[in-house]
Amino acid sequence: MQACYKTIVCVGWSRKSLPSLRSSRFRICAVQAQPETVQKVCDIVRKQLALPPESELTPDTKFSALGADSLDTVEIVMGLEEEFGITVEEDGSQNISTVQEAADLIEKLVQDKTAPS
Amino acid sequence: MGSSRGQRLSGMQKQVLSLYRGFLRAARSKSQEERRNIESVVSQEFRRNAKDVDRKNFLYIEYLLRRGNKQLDQLRNPGTTAISSLQLHFSKTDQAG
Repeated sequence: MQACYKTIVCVGWSRKSLPSLRSSRFRICAVQAQPETVQKVCDIVRKQLALPPESELTPDTKFSALGADSLDTVEIVMGLEEEFGITVEEDGSQNISTVQEAADLIEKLVQDKTAPS
Repeated sequence: MGSSRGQRLSGMQKQVLSLYRGFLRAARSKSQEERRNIESVVSQEFRRNAKDVDRKNFLYIEYLLRRGNKQLDQLRNPGTTAISSLQLHFSKTDQAG
C-alpha cells in the first residue's frame, strides 16, 4: 500500500513564522486507487505489452520503461476503458504514463459515473 | 515518441494518437473477427509509418492524417463492415517483359 504523502512536515516552533507548505514536497492525491484496481491495471498492461511473467511491474513503473511507445499507451487506455466501463477523454489519456496514474484516473471516472447527479 | 513525466507531445503527435484512438473506437462497433483485423491492420500501418517517416516531414504526415481521417469516416459508417489492405512488394528480380 502506498502512502499518499511523500514527506511529513514537522512544524518547528523555533522559527518566527510557520513554515510554508509550499517549501516542502507534498503530493496530495485527491483520489487514491484501491489495490484491486491497481492489480487489474497491472494485468491489462502485462497482457497488452506481452510482458514475460517474471518481469517487474510496480505501480510507478513507467510504460516507456517497459518498451511501450505512445501507440501502446493508447491501446492500454482503450483496454482499460473496456475493462472498467469508462470513457477516457483525449486529455486524460495523455497524462497516463504509469500504472498508478491509470488506476487513479479510473477510480475517479468510476466514482464520477456512480455518483448521484 | 518522447516520454517524460506528463509527456509533452507536439500538436501533430496528438493528432496522430487521436486518429489512432478513433480507429480503435470505431473497430469496437464491428464484428469480433473484423475488429481484430482492423486493429491489426491499423496498428501495423501506424507503427510502420512511425518508423519509416521522418518526423520532420510535416507535409507527408499531414497528408497521412488527412487520408487517415477520411478512411476513419468511411469506417464509422455503419454500412462498412470490413476493411482490407493491399500491400505491394517489389522484388529486384521482377523485370518488365
